[in-house]
Amino acid sequence: MSIATTIVKSTPVFGKMFAVDKSTGLEEINAWPALMIMSSFVWLVVAGLLGLVMPATQIFDLSSDHFYTTLTLHGAALTFPFSFQLMMGVGLHRSGGCVGKAITGWLPALAWLSMNLGAAILTVAVLMGLKVSVVVMFPLPLVGAQMGVWSMESVIVGFTGIYLVLACMILWYPLLVLKMMFFGKKRAELILSERSLNEPGMLGMLLAAATLLLTGLPLVVVGTTLVLALYKVIPMSLAAWAADPVVFQYTFYLFAHNLMEAMALMVASAMYATLPLYLADGSRKLYSEKLANLALWVLLVTSVTSGLHHFITFYPNQPAALSYWGNIMSWGTGMGAAISIFTILATIWQHGLKAEPGIIAVLVGWALYILDGASAIVTSNIAWTYQLHGTMWQSGHFMTVVLSMSMMWMGVLYHHYPVLTGRKLDPALGYLYVKMISVGSLGAAIVMLAGGAAGMPRRFADWHPEGWMLYGNLILAFGLILGASFAVYFYNLMKSREISAPMGELARA
Amino acid sequence: MAMLDYVYTGWGAFWVTMFMFVPFALMAYWVIRRKSLVDTGPTQLQPSEFAPIEGVWMTFAFIFFVVANLASLKYIPWAAASGTTNGEPEIQVDFTAKSWAYDISNRQIEAGKPVRFSGRSSDTQHGFAVYHPDGRVLFTMLMMPGTTKPTSVVYTFKDPGKYAVRCLEYCGVAHHRMQDELTVVKAN
Ligand code: HEM
Ligand SMILES: [Cu+2]
Repeated sequence: MSIATTIVKSTPVFGKMFAVDKSTGLEEINAWPALMIMSSFVWLVVAGLLGLVMPATQIFDLSSDHFYTTLTLHGAALTFPFSFQLMMGVGLHRSGGCVGKAITGWLPALAWLSMNLGAAILTVAVLMGLKVSVVVMFPLPLVGAQMGVWSMESVIVGFTGIYLVLACMILWYPLLVLKMMFFGKKRAELILSERSLNEPGMLGMLLAAATLLLTGLPLVVVGTTLVLALYKVIPMSLAAWAADPVVFQYTFYLFAHNLMEAMALMVASAMYATLPLYLADGSRKLYSEKLANLALWVLLVTSVTSGLHHFITFYPNQPAALSYWGNIMSWGTGMGAAISIFTILATIWQHGLKAEPGIIAVLVGWALYILDGASAIVTSNIAWTYQLHGTMWQSGHFMTVVLSMSMMWMGVLYHHYPVLTGRKLDPALGYLYVKMISVGSLGAAIVMLAGGAAGMPRRFADWHPEGWMLYGNLILAFGLILGASFAVYFYNLMKSREISAPMGELARA
Repeated sequence: MAMLDYVYTGWGAFWVTMFMFVPFALMAYWVIRRKSLVDTGPTQLQPSEFAPIEGVWMTFAFIFFVVANLASLKYIPWAAASGTTNGEPEIQVDFTAKSWAYDISNRQIEAGKPVRFSGRSSDTQHGFAVYHPDGRVLFTMLMMPGTTKPTSVVYTFKDPGKYAVRCLEYCGVAHHRMQDELTVVKAN
């Protein structure tokens, strides 16, 4: 029995939802993914509740320290150990079944451990006082320590945690994907639905892994240098170049921006693979695979350098030419989105849709992703960003991109759940979840964008001036619906029933 | 013109986003609903019949993207500045941001004259956002410590009044208290 299976089995409450069915002979592609997915949901529960605490601290005028602690934990936990890990788990399970290779050995173990241990260590650092937000805002950690706002120990602990999380995303996960795609023996009994790398369902996974690896390497170098200096392995003077705010911020955003794009590539790829399975006429064909692949390539090519839009208001320190470039590339990703809109809707129009909660969750998540994309290109325009940068608009965009992708993965998981666990979900509860999360997430997204339009600052512990509390109250209201939708999703997983049909049949159906 | 002035504000951005999203959402809802509930069979449309729709859609998206960005050019602060500063004397406002306050050379400004704001940070990343008395963000600036050049924006105030300054880059536990105020007075 795999260590992963053992950990899942011995986890209270959540273990029951993800216990892997070993009679299927698929444990080798199920065990680690099941553990990753389960762990991601543990983080979702904790950090989701923290999401509700944020508006609550404002409404009840609690100490601003609580707000910033919650903000940092909420953003970091939902982006990395929740969303990224959920994607990693479902994505690995998918690709295992597509290329017929086991997900075993030290790489998946390392990926899981480094993500969860890293996130746990970062959590400890935040509780020790390190309130730097999910994006670190370098050199804030060091300045805060110098000013005595938090301790140098918390900075060292925090960087250690971040470093482990980054190692998972930049090294272990992409290496695992590349290894599965290009090395090792294909085993017929593990193939659930074979795919080649030319198909959009696989191409996206590959492009994403390559993007994470390549755009992350500079950050690995900078991060390693800083961590070595913090641990006094090398003198601070040798790390001074990496501690330069401009160097750090640009390498950070080269990765951070492409992290989001890589996650988008991956989930788009999963959507292109899942939708055909739900076509009413059984044709299992996208309107055009070429067009679907083109959308992925456009997204990839435009996104690599579009992260320059983060620094437009830094002018003239970021020269105007780079800002124009970031502006144009960002809207170029919009062209990719336009292609994907056409491909998806034409596919459904052409072949009809067998609606089920899973695929509907994917499609609604995708619609939310399009809203996010629209808000993202708008705020990448130079004129608009001068008025929106640093407002709740950007938090709305960030939260919506992470939430919409997670929602799509939760839909894809709904599809894979029977193969993963040998149990079946209740469609009525599935639809209830879809309805609630649609209202909650769309509402929260629009309210946060509106708050930004009205000038409400992001990451700001005082929502009282200028009537911003209106948006705060609405965020809480929609957040409650969002939280309840997750409760319904979990309830469905808890009461899932054994499938009587032989699993092998079902998996290959 | 006045309409464009509105489009390139925060709320303008909101409505443009909705302009992109709402028609798409309605269309997607209609297609998905129809093809999964009403008329679930395949549609008798040949791929060749999709091609023109695809062409029109992509062209529309492209033209919209180009127009939205070209029309925004004159609202870019540095572009707007090059138009207004011809020969006119500039008011210079220098400031330094330091956790959690600003040191501003001049907090009283005459309306109608282009003002150059030049700022630096002396510790961590900070912002400098100027709010119109009606609550809108007029512009925000990002400062990182250690740059050779200051971050800079040229802006011409129209309305006299009190303008709040806020830091919009998260800078630690008292970030929300990092505020200041400018007074714009009628030109004499
Ligand atoms: C349960 C209901 C939720 C509520 C009430 C909520 C509330 C909030 C609020 C108020 C902010 C903005 C903080 C600020 O910038 O001042 C925020 C940021 C964020 N939220 Fe949520 N949220 C919820 C669920 C989620 C979920 C499910 C995800 C991810 C799947 C998520 C991801 C994020 C991210 C990534 C940020 C950005 C953090 C930052 O920029 O520092 N949230 N959330
Ligand atoms: Cu500040």
